[in-house]
Amino acid sequence: MNSSLLTPSSSSSSPHHLQSPATFDHDDFLQNFFSSAPWPSSALDDDAPPPTSDSSLAGFHHHDVDSRNQITMIPLSHHNPNDAVDVNALYSGFSAGSLPFHFPQGSGGGVMKQSHTQTQSQATASTTTGGTAATPQTKPKVRARRGQATDPHSIAERLRRERIAERMKSLQELVPNGNKTDKASMLDEIIDYVKFLQLQVKVLSMSRLGGAASVSSQISEDAGGSNENTSGENQTAAKMTEHQVAKLMEEDMGSAMQYLQGKGLCLMPISLATTISTATCPSRNPLISAVKEAGVPLSPNAATTPLVNVKGASVVTVKDASSVSKP
Amino acid sequence: MASAYNPIYTDVPEKDVFALHFLQTLSNLRTQNSFSSPDNKTSDRVKKIKKAAYVSMARAAGGANRLWSRSLLHQAAKRNNKNVRFLRRKRRVTWLMRRRSNRGDPIEDVAAERLRNLVPGGGGMETSKLMEETAHYIKCLSMQVKVMQCLVDGLSPK
Repeated sequence: MNSSLLTPSSSSSSPHHLQSPATFDHDDFLQNFFSSAPWPSSALDDDAPPPTSDSSLAGFHHHDVDSRNQITMIPLSHHNPNDAVDVNALYSGFSAGSLPFHFPQGSGGGVMKQSHTQTQSQATASTTTGGTAATPQTKPKVRARRGQATDPHSIAERLRRERIAERMKSLQELVPNGNKTDKASMLDEIIDYVKFLQLQVKVLSMSRLGGAASVSSQISEDAGGSNENTSGENQTAAKMTEHQVAKLMEEDMGSAMQYLQGKGLCLMPISLATTISTATCPSRNPLISAVKEAGVPLSPNAATTPLVNVKGASVVTVKDASSVSKP
Repeated sequence: MASAYNPIYTDVPEKDVFALHFLQTLSNLRTQNSFSSPDNKTSDRVKKIKKAAYVSMARAAGGANRLWSRSLLHQAAKRNNKNVRFLRRKRRVTWLMRRRSNRGDPIEDVAAERLRNLVPGGGGMETSKLMEETAHYIKCLSMQVKVMQCLVDGLSPK
């Protein structure tokens, strides 16, 4: 209603009074105040306040409305203790009346716009103009549009992100199976690939020695899994996994590797496998040869054998480097 | 392996540079007394060879020009109690400041942390710099693997 609407509008005018106490005599101030403001506690008729409020608004809308938040502070600081009683009354009513304006301008304007009568719309127009004029003061931070960030921190942040994206793209070409669009999975892929390469170096440095016994034991330590299966079971299980892996390898090398890793197995060049198997235990030969013969022929680039279980322990293997670097 | 359009400089030398360095390191190892004696544990030999591989890779990749190679060589020298000094490049202060101010997404931070543990010398780097180093590291590693593989294939009994 009018009274509720006009208390904010009148309280908008009242700071102007309060902030220039020098120009107003206290009596004048009190008169203006009481004439214009229907406080929530007091009941006035609706006809009288609107014109006076309009005139007061017209008189004061060009004033700067700064620091509305300080409305409650001002009456006490600027007035005599003689007027303390009145001031206190003012203060209590004032704070009640000025509360709506502690909200940001948008909602205040929104509240204003819900009015329907003409006078109210006039008041809203003036208050919204006052409001829009006041936005730079009440909200000193201008919200920048996207892509036009003026804050140096956000610019630096953006630069940093661009830089990272650039590098990510170049890394994507290096790593095989780098077609993932998701940044997180791409990073995981990169990490796995670096681990894989380091493992390759390790295995190759071992294989050079020809100390295959220690090699296999070392590797089985690292790989950590050990299947205590019978040899018969091993064969059939190996065949099944072989087929599975071969199928996977045709589509996607990375997933094949992951499948193997999940089982605790890897691919291995035949030369290394024979070296290891002949060096460790001659009795293992039947198993190895059986597995090899049952091996599924993989793609020519791979030059690998199917899975090998040596001593029931998992064996780390090395893929042919050329297939690794091929995208 | 050099890509002309790549603005980030991650070129590595050819394979023979790596091979040369690696073979040099291996021959150095052989001349050491501890290596030829058989009563040594194989695991020690393995570790030595692995270290030799990494050191030679670091040297071949450009010595002190790359952060990861530098830290690798530092680590290796520390184990030998050698005092290796490198000419320190002038640190760009903006990089350090940026690291302290922006932490970035939590997604990439976790992964970046893992990457830092993997790549040598990754502890003090910004994420973008880290990724640059990773790219170069990956290239060098794959080159090294190729060299070693060729050696193994050449030397393995038919």
